[in-house]
Amino acid sequence: MNNPFRKDLVSRSQPEACTVVIFGATGDLTHRKLIPALYNLQLEGALPAGVKIVGFARREKTDEQFRSGLEEINRKVSRSGHDDEVWADFAQKIHYHQSEFQDADGYKRLAESLEEIDQERGGKGNRLFYIASAPSFFDDVLESLKDAGLNSCRAGCWSRVIVEKPFGIDLPSAQHLNEVVNKTFQEKDTYRIDHYLGKETAQNIMVLRFANAIFEPLWNNNYIDHIQITCAENLGMEGGRGGYYDKAGALRDMVQNHLLQLLSLVAMEPPTDLTADGVRDEKVKVLRSLRQWDTPELVAENVVRAQYTEGHVDGEKCVGYCQEDRVDPESTTEAYVALRIMIDTWRWSGVPFFVRMGKQLPKKATEISVHFKEPPTVLFNALSGGVPGGNVLVIRIQPDEGISLRMVSKIPGARLRLEPVKMDFHYSTSFGKGSPEAYERLLLDSMAGDATLFARRDEVEEAWKFIDHIESAWHESSNPPPVADYVAGTWGPKEADDLLAEGGRKWRRL
Amino acid sequence: MQILGKEVAIGSVDRELRLLWEQDKASTNASLMNLAVYSENDGAILRNSDLVQEITREHACRAILIGIDRDDPKASIRAWITAHCHLRHGRKSVCCEQIAFQLTGRATGRLRNTVFAHLNSDLPLVFWWQGELSSIFSERLYSLIERFVFDSSQWSDPAESFKCIERALKNANNFSPMDMEWTRSYAVRLAVAGLYDDPLAKQSLEYTNSIRIKVHPNHKMAGLQLLAWIIQSNGWKPLMDKRQDTEISDRFCFETNEGVEVTAVVETASSAAPIAELEISSPDCTVRVSRGADSRYLHQLLNVGSHRVEQSTPVSGNDPAELFMAQLSRGGKNSLFRMIIPTFLSFLGVNEEEIYGTNIE
Ligand SMILES: NC(=O)c1ccc[n+]([C@@H]2O[C@H](COP(=O)([O-])OP(=O)(O)OC[C@H]3O[C@@H](n4cnc5c(N)ncnc54)[C@H](OP(=O)(O)O)[C@@H]3O)[C@@H](O)[C@H]2O)c1
Repeated sequence: MNNPFRKDLVSRSQPEACTVVIFGATGDLTHRKLIPALYNLQLEGALPAGVKIVGFARREKTDEQFRSGLEEINRKVSRSGHDDEVWADFAQKIHYHQSEFQDADGYKRLAESLEEIDQERGGKGNRLFYIASAPSFFDDVLESLKDAGLNSCRAGCWSRVIVEKPFGIDLPSAQHLNEVVNKTFQEKDTYRIDHYLGKETAQNIMVLRFANAIFEPLWNNNYIDHIQITCAENLGMEGGRGGYYDKAGALRDMVQNHLLQLLSLVAMEPPTDLTADGVRDEKVKVLRSLRQWDTPELVAENVVRAQYTEGHVDGEKCVGYCQEDRVDPESTTEAYVALRIMIDTWRWSGVPFFVRMGKQLPKKATEISVHFKEPPTVLFNALSGGVPGGNVLVIRIQPDEGISLRMVSKIPGARLRLEPVKMDFHYSTSFGKGSPEAYERLLLDSMAGDATLFARRDEVEEAWKFIDHIESAWHESSNPPPVADYVAGTWGPKEADDLLAEGGRKWRRL
Repeated sequence: MQILGKEVAIGSVDRELRLLWEQDKASTNASLMNLAVYSENDGAILRNSDLVQEITREHACRAILIGIDRDDPKASIRAWITAHCHLRHGRKSVCCEQIAFQLTGRATGRLRNTVFAHLNSDLPLVFWWQGELSSIFSERLYSLIERFVFDSSQWSDPAESFKCIERALKNANNFSPMDMEWTRSYAVRLAVAGLYDDPLAKQSLEYTNSIRIKVHPNHKMAGLQLLAWIIQSNGWKPLMDKRQDTEISDRFCFETNEGVEVTAVVETASSAAPIAELEISSPDCTVRVSRGADSRYLHQLLNVGSHRVEQSTPVSGNDPAELFMAQLSRGGKNSLFRMIIPTFLSFLGVNEEEIYGTNIE
C-alpha cells in the first residue's frame, strides 16, 4: 500500500521506513560517509520516520559510546553542519551490536534485536543490510545472514543488501561474490554501490543527452572524433592506503567500476524507459561491445601503465610510488593507467575512447570531454593556420561540476583571425546551493527500491572481463608490457601522450 | 534611491548594463531566469532590492524590480541599474544584474512595453507579486509569466483573488501559480508524509475521525490548503451540509473511503506560529506535527499501538526571501498545488461557475 501523502510531494520514488544494519560500523566509511549522509537526510526531512540504524562491528561498545564517536565525526564532516537538537533525536535511532563477522551466535542475537524493533512496528519490518567491511568478509557476512534467516522477510516487507566496492578483484572472484550474494538475496534486492553514479553530474549525463534535442543527432561517429575520460588525483598513498592500493592498482580501483560506468552512460543508446533495468540494459550493452585487448601485444598497443617517481605536487615534495609507505619497493602495480577503448557498435565504430586515471597528478579533477570532428577544409579552414582546435563539449564531474562547450569565434578587427572561446556553465554559480552527497541519494534510492544508480550483476562481470585480459597480460604473460614512469606532479608518462598522438590528438589540458 | 544603483535613462538601460560588466573583469555574470518583483506599496522597491541581494546568493537571475504608484495622476517612469555580487568558494565573484523601475500613473501598457523589453531572452520569467492583486494582473501580463508567486496571506478577499488566479490558469498555457502560504506548509506536509511511512500509521489512515489544524489568524489560507491536501490525497468525500464556521474556527466534515466520518477543525490563535499544529487521529493512531511560536524546530510525534516516534527537524522562518527561495529550489509545475485548488476553493465557498463571472478592477 502506497503512502497517499507521498503522491507528488517529491518527484522521486518513495523511500520506506526500514532498519539499516551496517556491517563494519566502527570503520571509516560509516563515520565519514554513511552516518553523515543519513543525518543530512534526517535534517532535510527526507528520511522516513521510523528508520532505525544498527551498527555491527567487533569491538566492545555501548550504544552511547558508539553514538558519541559518530557525533564527533559528524560535527566535522556533515555537509549542512551539525544541529544538536536534530542529532539528539537522530542518535536515538542508532544502536550498536557487538559481534564478530564469523560468529553465528552474533547473527542470532541480531535477528532477535531486529525482531524486537519490528514488533514495535506491529511486526512489519523492512531491512537494509549495508556491508561496509573489507571484501574478504563479504562471504562470511552474507552466508551468516542466510543461516540466521535474515535474508528473508515477511509478506509485504523487503530485505535488501548494499555491497560496497571493490566488488571482486577479477572476474572469477566477482562471479563467486555474485553467486554468494544471489544465493542470499535476489538480484532485485542487491544494490552494488558505485558512488560515482550518485554524483549529480553523472546523473546529468543522461539529461544532457536525452533531454536536449541538439546533442543526440551529433552523438555518433559521423561527428565525434574521440572521447576522453580523465580522473586525476593529486594525492599519493597517504594514510596507509598503500597496503590496499599496491594489491589493487589504478585499473581495478577506478577504471573497472567508476570510469567504465561513466563510459557506459556516455556511450549507451537511449533506453526505452527510465526504469532501473531499462537504463542498465543499455549500459551493459556498451560493456559487452568493448573490444577486448586479449593479447599482450594488443595490451601493449592500447594500454599504458605507469608509476610516479619523486617530484612535487602542490608545491610539496613527494616520494616515488615504490618508496611510499606500505608499497612493495619492487612493485609493478600501476599508479597511473591510460587506455584506448573501442566500442564495436554501429554508433561508435572507429571512435576511440581514451580513459586515464592517475595518482600524484597536478590537480584533482574528473571529467569527460567529447571532441568533435574538424569542419571541412574549405572556407575558414582553408585559411592559413586553419581553425584552431575543434568543438569540445566537457562534462566536469568533480570538483567544479559543470558543462562547457568550446567553439571558434572571430577576433574583432578588420582581419579574419579566429580563436577558440568557451561557453561555460558551473553548477555552483548557477545553482548556489551545494549538491547532496552521493551517499545520500544512493541510500534513499535503496530505501525506495530504485536500483537505477547501482551496478547490476552483468555490468560488473562484463567490466571485469575487459579488465582481466589487461591484468593477465601485465602479470601473467611471458612478455609483459613495460611499466612507464612519470615525475610526480606532471600529467603522466610520455607513452600515454603517444597513445593519442595518431591523428594529432592530444590529452585535454585540465 | 542610492541602494538601487545608478540611475539611467530608460532608452539606455542595456548600454549601461554592458558598461557595468565591462568595468569589472573579475566577475561572472550568471543567470538562470528573469525575476520580476512587483509591488504597489510605497517604498517597497528599496526593500525588494535587499531581498534580491539575498535571493541571488542561491539563484542566479536577472532581477527586475517594479514599483508602481497608480494613484499618482502624472505618468512617469525612472530606472536604475546595479549588480548583486557574491563570492563563491572564496574566489570567484558571481554577479547578477538588477534593473529597478519606478512607475507612476496608469501603468499597464508601459509595464509591458518598457519593463518587459528588458527581459533576458530565452530564460523563464518568474514574477513575484507582492500584496493585493489589482487590475494590472490581466491576461496581457500573465500570458508572459512562467511562474507566478504570490502570498494569499496578504489578501483581504482571498476568494475573489483566487478566482483570478484560477482564470489565469485556464487561459494561459505556461502559467504556474505558487502561493507562499503553500510553501509555508511544505515542512508540515513533508513531516506528515514521513510519519505515515510507518506501516501501522498507514493502516490507520482510513479510520481517521479527527483532524485539527491550528494557525495564526493571518495564515488561515495555509491551514485550509493543508486540509485540502489531506482530503484530496486520500480521496475523501466532503459532507458540505455539515460545515460550520465561527469567529475563530471553521468546521468541516468528510467521509473516508472506509465510510468513517472525519471532523476537521481549522482554528486560529493570535499567539500561534503561522502553522502551529496539525493533528490527525484515529482510535489507534495519533500523528501530530507542531511548532512553538518562536521555535526553529518542527516537532513530530507518532503514537500508534505501543510504538512512539518523536523527532524534530529544523525549519526555516517566515522570512519572505527564505520562503521565496524555498519555492524556487523546488521548481517544477507545482502540480500538487494545482490539484488541491478546487477543493481549497470549495472551502472558501467558490465553485467552478463563479470563476468566469468575476473580474477585479
Ligand atoms: N572509507 C571509505 O571512504 C571508503 C570508500 C569507498 C569504499 N570503501 C569500502 O568500504 C569498506 C569498508 O571500508 P572502511 O574504510 O570503513 O574500513 P575500516 O575503517 O577498516 O573498517 C572496517 C570495519 O570492519 C570491522 N571488522 C573488521 N573485522 C571484523 C570482524 N572479524 N568482525 C566484525 N567486524 C569486523 C571493523 O570493526 P572493529 O573496528 O570493531 O574491528 C570496522 O568496523 C571496504 O570494502 C572499502 O573498500 C570505503
